Amino acid sequence: MSRIKPLGVLRVALLWAAVITVGLPLIWVILGSFKSPAELNNPNQLLFVPTLGSWRAVLSSDLIFSAARSLIVGLVTVSISVIVGTMGAYAIARFRAGGSLTRFGILAAQVLPPAVLVFPFLTVAYALRLNGTLVPVIFAHLSFVLPVVTWFLIGFFAAVPKEIEEQARVDGFGRFAAFRLVVLPQVLPGIGAAAIFGFTLSWNDMFYGLILAPSNSTILPVAIAGFNTFRGVELGPMCAAILIAVIPVLIASFFIQRKLVQGISGGAVKF
Amino acid sequence: MSTVNFEKIVKSYGDTSVVRELDLELPDGSFTVLVGPSGCGKTTTLRMLAGLETVTSGRILIGGRDVTKLEPKDRDIAMVFQNYALYPHLSVRENLAFPLRAIQTPKDQVATRVDSVAGPLGLTPLLHRKPKDLSGGQQQRVAIGRAIIRQPSVFLFDEPLSNLDAKLRVEMRTELLQIQRRLGTTALYVTHDQEEAMTLSDCIVVMRDGQIAQQGKPQDVYDHPNSTFVAAFVGSPKMNLMDGTVTDGVFVDDAGFSIGVTNVAAGRFTLGVRPDDILIGLDESSPHRGVVDVVELLGPRAIVSVISHGQNVAAVVEAASMTGIREGATVSLGIRPGSQHLFNQSTGLRVGS
Repeated sequence: MSRIKPLGVLRVALLWAAVITVGLPLIWVILGSFKSPAELNNPNQLLFVPTLGSWRAVLSSDLIFSAARSLIVGLVTVSISVIVGTMGAYAIARFRAGGSLTRFGILAAQVLPPAVLVFPFLTVAYALRLNGTLVPVIFAHLSFVLPVVTWFLIGFFAAVPKEIEEQARVDGFGRFAAFRLVVLPQVLPGIGAAAIFGFTLSWNDMFYGLILAPSNSTILPVAIAGFNTFRGVELGPMCAAILIAVIPVLIASFFIQRKLVQGISGGAVKF
Repeated sequence: MSTVNFEKIVKSYGDTSVVRELDLELPDGSFTVLVGPSGCGKTTTLRMLAGLETVTSGRILIGGRDVTKLEPKDRDIAMVFQNYALYPHLSVRENLAFPLRAIQTPKDQVATRVDSVAGPLGLTPLLHRKPKDLSGGQQQRVAIGRAIIRQPSVFLFDEPLSNLDAKLRVEMRTELLQIQRRLGTTALYVTHDQEEAMTLSDCIVVMRDGQIAQQGKPQDVYDHPNSTFVAAFVGSPKMNLMDGTVTDGVFVDDAGFSIGVTNVAAGRFTLGVRPDDILIGLDESSPHRGVVDVVELLGPRAIVSVISHGQNVAAVVEAASMTGIREGATVSLGIRPGSQHLFNQSTGLRVGS
């Protein structure tokens, strides 16, 4: 048996500290969603009779419609981002489109705080009579999801050898067919990961939704914040609603964790 | 019939010309090898024929058809890349069948064609595997199989053997030549390895700085190199080149080595002698003597490096006549009569022998 190394112990300790920091609130939220309002007043109470009251209240409320709206916004945003981002990332990786500056420039919009961007969005949406609909939310989400998805995919495209594409062209296929039949299959796992990552970004965003789509078209994070009412925080239903928002993200992250690292580092390391 | 013609082909990137006014004909069914140091334009020339690089000016004809502006897919060619460029997501069978998909071959025919190509290449038991599960040699065979399956008018090879180990490289070289001979398809092959060029080609084209330095049958190029560049590039070990002066039909090397030459006016020249034509003996009365520096045994022969008058002279000696020739020994040097080559010292061009 190898000796226990002090550095190894430290590493494990740090990892556990991180896990607890992230995990404890989540566990508290899970427990909270099954507690009765009275039991919620005692956050230290670990033993209680579980009740589905909060879940029932949430599932029969408008929150489900908000979740559906978030889903629509996420899916539309991601679909556009993946289609445009795939083409953009391929062009940047293969043809160095726009020079080496593009790779950085593509993320430049991230430097601007959303607070700066949201009012122009609102003004334009109002001028187009699209305020109060999901359309401006989708465009706002595109402003950060599309660059991130593109950035994410550059590394995957750069890793595909140029020769197999040229080989396909010599083997009798046009440029687009070569791209579709040979290049695309190599980056498909990356595209899947990018899509899930982009969806998560859109799904979690509250700021744009809050300002661009209030009242009748609230999206999920905004609806969750709505449990903070003038009568006090409705903790139980809020816990259940938070779980509805978090669980899809958790599951998705689990499936793409490896590609996530590859996508973020692949885009960052190769210049 | 697929003769390939390059007519005054120029390729430049901005102000830099990579290929300059290249004229070259590949006769139908011939095996032509482009060889030269890196950056000489050989790969660019091949890629222009493939359609993967645009042509700045000039025309390329395949079988009399002008293909200069055509897409690669419309040129009826097949290519083998240095790294084989197998499609990683497809099995060996699907890789072989890929070019047939492009021409919408019926399914039953695809299977027969794949089997008939895979058999002779020894790929039949590997058809269901993915490229990453194959050895380098097997990957190479798949790449060759994929090139021959469509029966194209021209084969293009871009240093296809350089990723293989030495033993396999020689085996595949032979196999490649057999396949090309059997199919009778015009082939253009690019390599930086002059030995590969010599053994494979019907016609060897030595390139330098985007131009043809010399072309011809390998033996002719070897026997009559037209410049010091070709003389030094073709043949291994490298030809010995020494600078000297000709006066009254006698070449005198700067180190004092002399030999009679014909038909040459007086002046400065470079004398070239193949290591095979350097005669090493133990004649103590010889005026040309040197000390053996290194002996490299090749089996039946050995390369002997001799330092004579401060110059390094390489000689190839039969192993049988190596008696007395060992590192540190003093030996006599001679030249096989009539084997010398004479080049103009300033231009490097051949002037006589």
